[in-house]
Amino acid sequence: MLHVDDLTVSIGGTPILKGLDLEVGPGEVHAIMGPNGSGKSTFAHALAGREGYDVEGTVTLDGADLLAMEPEDRAAAGVFMGFQYPVEIPGVNNMYFLRTALNSVRRSRGEDEISAREFLKVAQEAMDLVEMKQDFLNRSVNAGFSGGEKKRNEILQMAVMQPKLAVLDETDSGLDIDALRVVASGVNALRGPERSMIVITHYQRLLDYIKPDYVHVLVNGRIVESGDHTLALHLEEKGYADFLGEDAELTGASA
Amino acid sequence: MSETLRDIEKLADASYEFGFSTDLDTDVAPPGLTEDTVRLIAAKKDEPDWLLEWRLKAFAAWQQMEEPDWAKLQIAPIDYQSISYWAAPKKKPVLDSLDEVDPEIREMFDKLGIPLHEQKMLSNVAVDAIVDSVSVTTTFKETLAEAGVIFCSFSEAVRDHPDLVREHLGSVVPVRDNFFAALNSAVFSDGSFCYIPKGVRCPMELSTYFRINSMNTGQFERTLIVAEDDSHVSYLEGCTAPQRDENQLHAAVVELVAKDRAEIKYSTVQNWYPGDENGVGGIYNFVTKRGRAHTDAKISWTQVETGSAITWKYPSVILQGDRSVGEFYSVALSSKRQQADTGTKMVHIGADTTSSIISKGISAGNGQNTYRGLVKMMRSAENARNYTQCDSLLLGKRCGAHTVPYIEVKNPSAQVEHEASTSTVGEDQLYYCRQRGMSEEDAMAMIVNGFCREVFDELPMEFAVEAQRLLSASLEGSVG
Amino acid sequence: MTVAAPTWQADALEQLASLALPTKRDEAWRYSPHAKLSQLTFGPAAALDEVPSDVEAQIPVLDGPRLVLVNGVVDPGRTNLGALADGVVFCALSEAPPPAAARLQQTHESPDDAFSVINRAYGTEGALVQVSGQVDVLLHIVDVSVPGATHNASASRVVIDLAEGASATVVETRIGSGTGFGGSNVRTEITLGAEATLEHIILQDLPASQLHIGRVDVDQAASSTLRARLFNLGADYGRVAYHVHLVGEGARAELSGLYFGFGDQTLDQQITVVHEAKDCTSRQSYRGVLDDSSTGIWNGCVDVRPGADGTDSEQSNDNLLLSKTAEVNTMPRLEILADEVSCQHGATVGQLDDTALYYLRSRGIRKDEASRLLINGFADQVMDDLEHHGVRGWVTARLGHGHE
Repeated sequence: MLHVDDLTVSIGGTPILKGLDLEVGPGEVHAIMGPNGSGKSTFAHALAGREGYDVEGTVTLDGADLLAMEPEDRAAAGVFMGFQYPVEIPGVNNMYFLRTALNSVRRSRGEDEISAREFLKVAQEAMDLVEMKQDFLNRSVNAGFSGGEKKRNEILQMAVMQPKLAVLDETDSGLDIDALRVVASGVNALRGPERSMIVITHYQRLLDYIKPDYVHVLVNGRIVESGDHTLALHLEEKGYADFLGEDAELTGASA
Repeated sequence: MSETLRDIEKLADASYEFGFSTDLDTDVAPPGLTEDTVRLIAAKKDEPDWLLEWRLKAFAAWQQMEEPDWAKLQIAPIDYQSISYWAAPKKKPVLDSLDEVDPEIREMFDKLGIPLHEQKMLSNVAVDAIVDSVSVTTTFKETLAEAGVIFCSFSEAVRDHPDLVREHLGSVVPVRDNFFAALNSAVFSDGSFCYIPKGVRCPMELSTYFRINSMNTGQFERTLIVAEDDSHVSYLEGCTAPQRDENQLHAAVVELVAKDRAEIKYSTVQNWYPGDENGVGGIYNFVTKRGRAHTDAKISWTQVETGSAITWKYPSVILQGDRSVGEFYSVALSSKRQQADTGTKMVHIGADTTSSIISKGISAGNGQNTYRGLVKMMRSAENARNYTQCDSLLLGKRCGAHTVPYIEVKNPSAQVEHEASTSTVGEDQLYYCRQRGMSEEDAMAMIVNGFCREVFDELPMEFAVEAQRLLSASLEGSVG
Repeated sequence: MTVAAPTWQADALEQLASLALPTKRDEAWRYSPHAKLSQLTFGPAAALDEVPSDVEAQIPVLDGPRLVLVNGVVDPGRTNLGALADGVVFCALSEAPPPAAARLQQTHESPDDAFSVINRAYGTEGALVQVSGQVDVLLHIVDVSVPGATHNASASRVVIDLAEGASATVVETRIGSGTGFGGSNVRTEITLGAEATLEHIILQDLPASQLHIGRVDVDQAASSTLRARLFNLGADYGRVAYHVHLVGEGARAELSGLYFGFGDQTLDQQITVVHEAKDCTSRQSYRGVLDDSSTGIWNGCVDVRPGADGTDSEQSNDNLLLSKTAEVNTMPRLEILADEVSCQHGATVGQLDDTALYYLRSRGIRKDEASRLLINGFADQVMDDLEHHGVRGWVTARLGHGHE
């Protein structure tokens, strides 16, 4: 479904991703782990289409060339990104924002706009999922939200948007254990045979709640190891030292 | 509260420790200003014709100009005809070595703590000392010459490097710029000149020390610093004057030229005589300071203004080249009946230019402190950035703090952020410090110094210590 | 009921002969279009034979009585004062009941700038609001400018007095008709008694060919509250100056506003709040959006006089520039002559936040729609606590968005 081939990304002339390959099949959950600065967030933003990145390589979603698309077209194609730092937008009502987003995507796909009644139902279900109260929708987007509320809002948006591919960037960061549980159960409820997920995290902790089918280790812009969820446990125990050493050797050898 | 308040006022009521005058035999021109005065100054200094022409042009311009309208200042009218425009120590020494400096002048600078004598010198600071209107000595000339750096009095520069002076004089502050700049251009007596050649990092801090000694004289010095491509210089300026009952006029001009990738850091500790608590005497300090920053150049102004009856100065940067940087760090203290009206202008012309302004105003006694600033983003200033922070501290009931920023933006990609606050030293802060064993005076000094920390951090080490001491001395009565 | 013209009015008429218009050397007029202002011509108010038909449609539909002035003269056809509660006077100045007529002889301070002098000289008619007790409906004053043949600009005067403990909401709509050059000059004088509460809203939407000069003077007694809101949207040059004096202890003034410029508009707000008594609170919160070649001017001052200890004041002015040729001049000023004060102020100028734009786009919203969403979000914050749906509806419709 998602096909990433030799993806390189530079920001302001500095190479961050140096040839990343990844295959994600329908319904699969892939975890990407790695030390700080390894390029995890850059990968997520490269998929979502952040401006200012010099991107090369191939990324297709069900055969469509993602890299050629604007961010909003990628959303319409089914890519949803959960931001590590959800953006505060004072003055823009959360509910209005969500409905505008949903209708934009539906219009792009040639579907009818959602009726107010139907939208309320969808939104209510999503709110139940992340255990949020009604007034949540009446506040400005993320403005004045606590860290946990922001992350729950991301999952709520995901539930409403029903994406084909969800990329969750450090969704666990800044969460206490209760918030983590809520967010993780929200994510699990949204797993399904037609929805793939890429879960980006620094720690194994989140993966206790969201069990991945595959785990990849990203170091210095490349995936250096892939395996099943036991790889994450190994990392938890040993840290990234092994992989950092190996990578240093590799770069040493190629120099 | 009342007890604390009385203490604060006592603290603010400092005595001026540089108020002595030295009995130098001085050559003083009769008071008054006419075209002949301008010619007399040029003749005394044996100046080339081009410079006399330039002075006369400035004088003509000055005569057409109106004295600025003192928005916030309370000022007795200045009689420009009662001021003497030329005063010089008579035994003008032709110096072969520092030992030949007039012992009386040396003694005077020793009293001020200005290390003229090499043995007493702070490490690595070259000093140009200016008494009344004339540069009396410049130290470390040879060491500097080895690096190709020219650092000398303005008169010497006119004599020895006329082309450099002629090319840059008035290039940043034109003669018609403002009333006092025009006056200075007509009658400036001496000053400092500094030239850093391409690629040279000046091996030591350069320093000018200004001293007004004679009565009834105005001081009109001129500083010109030219930093060629890829060069770097840090320049310090200090000032004191004797305690006298009448007001004295100081109208200086400082011009900085930072060429591509050059960096100029200009630091001032201004401690002219502020007048007494009834507002008698003190220096009128009307100074025009401006730098032009070319591509990738950086100009940084840092000032600690504790002296003068009236201060009116706005060290500015014209951010002409792309990616050039301007900075302004200021502490201004007004106590007694001092009036400080100071700030900066940042004019963004080039793309990706950035400026930052940190201003700390402290008002005590009957002091009035005004921050007046302009941030201007021209249409060409793509992606320019400014950040301004402007804080005022009020110590007492009879002082005032004024913040008058002008922000003019003509480019949508420019970003400007201005923040300001006004506060007072809290009872709880003082109490907390005293509970920890500090005297109220020490606590006050500590809190005020803390308020100024961001600015002091920008000063070279020796100056930072001096600045803290001065601030404490200006605030404290018996201590310091 | 006729009362002799007040002396200040006679003085002003005399001053007209030697009137000097403001120049850029006057701080409060530094960035104003002086050449255009000098083209305005004023004279004694004169009724039009026929009020243009496009006027009615421009008047916001609000719940409450309204008084309509056209070129400084009451338009009886469009005025509808209905039945008013006891303790409420709402009428034309010329219709003021006897006790109030004497009151009108007094004026707030007499500023000596040219347009204030002109207003004192020619602004003989206008609206009077006097309230003791509570008024639940909006009192709506509409000032219409229709450039005439003899002179192109009109002047009018609004007087609002709230007695001790009274509360009311007054909306002043300022509009015009036609494509000719002209303008209006409106002075509002507000006196708030102890513990009175006034919500005062100005909707400025003159045609793009006209200029508007507004001035609002407010005196506030102890523990009174003013909420003044300005929507400065229309006119070629639209200016409103507030001079608020917090005279009694514990008074509170909350001023906010939105200016949204297009074309060649210049929108100018001059705000001065003077803290004269202890423990007063003031808030200034203004937002500007400048598109095309428009210019925004904001000159805000908090003036804390000696003895006004316990002053609590905040001031903010945030601006969005949407075009290469738009500009903004902002001056957040403080004048502090008392200690024990807490004053915060700030100003920002910027463009739309790239990260916010990207966030919206990543949720599938098109770039132009995302921009509009962010601009509206920025502007709408001025209305966060605006309860009057009629006013809110008019503003959102006027700005071409309505997502409530």
